[in-house]
This record gives sequence, C-alpha cells and structure tokens, in this order.
Amino acid sequence: MASSNGSASGLYSEALFAGIWRENPTFRLMIGMCPPLAVTTAVKPALTMGLSVIFVLICSNLVVSLMRNLLKPHLRIIMFTVTIATFVTVCDLFLKAYLPTMSEILGAYVPLIIVNCIIIFRAEACASKAGPVVSILDGLGMGVGFTLALCILSAVRELLATGHVFDIPVMPKAFVPWLAMQMPVGAFVTLGLILGLINVLTRKRTVPEEEPEAAPAPPAAEPQLPATA
Amino acid sequence: MAKLRYFLQESWLLLASSFCFGLLIAMTNAALSGRIEQNKAAKLNDLTKALLPGAEIFQPVEAEIQVTLPDGAKEKAKIFEVLSGANERLGWSFNAHGTGFAGPIELVLAVDKDFQKIMGFDVLASSETPGFGDQIKSDYYRKQYAGAPAEQLMLAKTGDPGVADTQIVAITGATVSSEAVVDIVNTFLTQIKGQMQEKGLIGNGKQ
Repeated sequence: MASSNGSASGLYSEALFAGIWRENPTFRLMIGMCPPLAVTTAVKPALTMGLSVIFVLICSNLVVSLMRNLLKPHLRIIMFTVTIATFVTVCDLFLKAYLPTMSEILGAYVPLIIVNCIIIFRAEACASKAGPVVSILDGLGMGVGFTLALCILSAVRELLATGHVFDIPVMPKAFVPWLAMQMPVGAFVTLGLILGLINVLTRKRTVPEEEPEAAPAPPAAEPQLPATA
Repeated sequence: MAKLRYFLQESWLLLASSFCFGLLIAMTNAALSGRIEQNKAAKLNDLTKALLPGAEIFQPVEAEIQVTLPDGAKEKAKIFEVLSGANERLGWSFNAHGTGFAGPIELVLAVDKDFQKIMGFDVLASSETPGFGDQIKSDYYRKQYAGAPAEQLMLAKTGDPGVADTQIVAITGATVSSEAVVDIVNTFLTQIKGQMQEKGLIGNGKQ
C-alpha cells in the first residue's frame, strides 16, 4: 500500500515538474517556437499568452484523457485538433470580452494556439495514455514551463527595448532604447543567448555527476599536453 | 447500408464530440458577444472623445454615403454625428481604412461641425513595424492633422510639422506608413465631404 502510494505521488510530481525544467518545451525540447519569437515584445502579452496556453493545455489534456479508450487510432489526430480548437476559441472569446487590449496586441497568435505543437504533443504523448489526474498535472507543468520561458524572454526584450519591465520603468533616464530588441531579430538573438546560457549551466551541473567515470581521463590527457606542445 | 454502419462505427465519437464542442462554443459566444461588441464601441467612442472634447452622444448618419476605395470597390461609409451633452453638434467622426506597410490600417477620423477642419485621427488597428511604422500613433505625427483643413492632404519629406496645413511631414524611416495614412485620409475625407455637401447635411463652405 505504502509503496504504491509513494509511486503514485512520485508519478504526479514527475508529471508536474518535468515540463517546468527537465523537459521545458521552449528551452529543452525546442517545440512550439512561434509564440516565444512572436509575442515576447513585452511581459504582459507574453504572460497572457502563457496563461491562455495553460488553460487550453489543461482542458484539452483532460478531455483527451477521458476519451482515450474510445479513440480510433486513425482518427485520433482529428479528435485532438477538434478538442484543441474548441478550447482555443473559448479562450479567444474570453480575452476579447475581458482583456480587449491584450487580445488586440496578441492578434492572430491566440487563434494560432490551435496549431501550437506543444498541445498536440502532450495530447499524443501523455493524455492519450494516462489518467485524468496525471494529464491535468502534465498540462499544468508543461504550461507553466512554457509561460516561464515566455516571461524570461519577454522580460529581457522589454527591458532592453523600452527600459521597462511589466510597464514599470526600471532603467535610468539616460538609457537609450534598443529598438532592434522589439523586432524579430531581437527575439532570435535573445532566444539564442538564453539557450546557450542554459546549455552552459546544465553542462556544469552534469559534470560532477560523471566525475567517477571522467576521473581517469585527466591523467591520460595530461601527458599528452607536453607532447603536443 | 453496411458502409453507413461502418462509417458511424468509426466516427461516432467525432460526430458526438463535435456536436458537444459546437454547443460549448455557441454558449460561450452567446454569453460574451454582448460584452465584445460593447468593448469595440467603447474603444471607438473613447478615441473620438479624445479627438472632440466634450463629446457625449454619437448618432449614426442614416444617409447613404458611398466611398470608392482605391481598388475600385464601393462601401457604405460609417459616419457619426457627434453631439455634446447639451445636444449641440461638435463635429463628425467616421471610420477609414486602407493598406499600410505591414497590413491593414484602420483609423477613426474626426472633423469639426462644418467639415472645414480636421480635428485629428487615431489608429483603431494596425500592424506597422514597432518603433518605425507604428509611430503613426505618435503625437508628433498625429498632431499635424489636428487643425489641418479638411481637403486633399500632401506628404512632404521635410517641413515644419508644427504648422496646421495640408502638408504632412513624413516620419523618418516610415515613409510608406506615413503615406498610407495620408492616402486613407484623402480617400475617405474628400468623398465623404463631397457627398455630405450634396445631400445638404453640411454647408458647402461658401456661406
């Protein structure tokens, strides 16, 4: 009993936390790259986009999980698409009604969540195989990971492009805005630098773990140094 | 018959869930559409109020006024008579649209009560380049229209933007967007003015 309980909660936390860091859709898996490039000019629209994706991801994961035993293999993609499109439309209407300014800034990118591959990927990889609770947690984790990635990217871009973060001025008055950061080139450069930074950080973290295996290597490499020199 | 049964066997879930999802969207739309329409109207009114201080009442103009777009298409112009709280005519406002550098531009224009002077314009929707073309929303560019005569406008590369005349000074680095706004204003303003004078809604400017 105790062990099965433990493994179940382990499964839940695994489903929840995988998307936030280890399998972060934007920084680790590099899927669904359109919104991170297109809507990260400022933190507010990026956050709105992230929250919309969390909503759609949780709802579609739940529905797909509930009907996973009824799915016909050759009709499953069309079922996923219909489910996702429904919740995206609901979300789009909701934004138009309650956050009209955000809806205007995001424009076509809200309806485009339908073709965001993170959502269809989670429906295929998780929700169509796992129970409702795991699917909801997985959707939440992946969505939060995606939202965090959008917020990091947009904070850097907004700071350098306008000197504001979340519309609050933070830079000294003498700061000259970098207009390029507001344009597509700013998105690509920021994304590339952040991905590079994350690669450097994760490499440093994994080296100590491999030390026992890597330990014999340095002595072997050291004698070579004088030889090549 | 066997084919139909096979079809239903395979796709009943898709048919049933499509029906449920359709119902869900219809319900959401029914619940929110009123608010969405209100938001659109509120935005238009807010922008017009900023252009015509004191504006309270927006009365749609019933008369059939048609605008011919540069591509030859005709459409009915959306014109409002703008009144103050005391039912006094402050001016007219109308929607105008056209193609900018990166997509459609939608404007709202306000003119004074005799259609002699432009009171100003504001951008309802556009997708111009941030930092360059979207400066059509900036005060520097918009102030040039306030007080300009309601006639054919011209775009100039250099000049004094502080003078209210038919010459509009372009934004550096955004000539196409600047020109697009001038073209949209010219297309709608002169045609609407002419037809409103014909229909007697406003004086012909000679009295």
